[in-house]
Amino acid sequence: MTAEDRFRAYIQAFNASDWDKLRDYYAPDVRLVIGNGTELNGRDAIIDFYGKVKSQTRRTIEIVQCFADGHTLAAEIESEFLAIEDAPDFAVRPMAKGDRYYLNSFVFYDFESTLYTRIRAATFRREFRPVAA
Amino acid sequence: MSIAPAGLRCWFEAYLAAFNRADFPAFGAYYADDIDFHGQAAQLVGREAVLAFYHKVRSYLNERVELIGFVGAPDGNRIAAELHTTLLALRDWPDMPTGAMRAGDTRMRVSFAMYDIAGGHFTRIRTARFSPAERQAT
Repeated sequence: MTAEDRFRAYIQAFNASDWDKLRDYYAPDVRLVIGNGTELNGRDAIIDFYGKVKSQTRRTIEIVQCFADGHTLAAEIESEFLAIEDAPDFAVRPMAKGDRYYLNSFVFYDFESTLYTRIRAATFRREFRPVAA
Repeated sequence: MSIAPAGLRCWFEAYLAAFNRADFPAFGAYYADDIDFHGQAAQLVGREAVLAFYHKVRSYLNERVELIGFVGAPDGNRIAAELHTTLLALRDWPDMPTGAMRAGDTRMRVSFAMYDIAGGHFTRIRTARFSPAERQAT
């Protein structure tokens, strides 16, 4: 399986909220850094973070493009967050039920063998679409 | 002309070297005539518009970009780069698009950039800020 194929399977697991499968993609000491200042260390911290996000919103990720070179994969991804409940403390901004938030992000995934060891994401574009609009 | 994937990094490093020494003809030659440019300080279309923008920037700032991370697509048509940028204000620029700077100020940031390539030219450049700008006032 290529790094690109593995990444597509990883995102498929993410979209399915298959946390057990998702965990298998991370090195035990994986580090996730998001450009907004969020930094998570370890599999459990990442799974917990995504679990909370998905308890408040339905997040779907679409891969715009991905390619790997050596031990790093670069990806452009589009995320849609659909609030399934009012989420005043949502990680990105306060959301009301039905609001949608879109992010276009550039992400680097460093990997060793089949495990992601470091993930870093920066937001290129963002768009908020309130339910009332 | 297309860039062989194996030579993509060297080709890109030569672009950054030209950019850092403000060699406008050399780094401008990397841009397609109708390049689509989405920088953090400007969104522009066309080589001439991008070069005019950088001429203005260089009249205020010394800008240096270091390559931290590089991922070249196997097809040779895309690059993802992690870049560390250092800005040094040569004179006051109160209207700088990403925030005012005073002469002597420095500002550093890390950005992720995506480059689309066709025919040996960048056809689209898009940058996203990863780290908040670190400011150092003199």
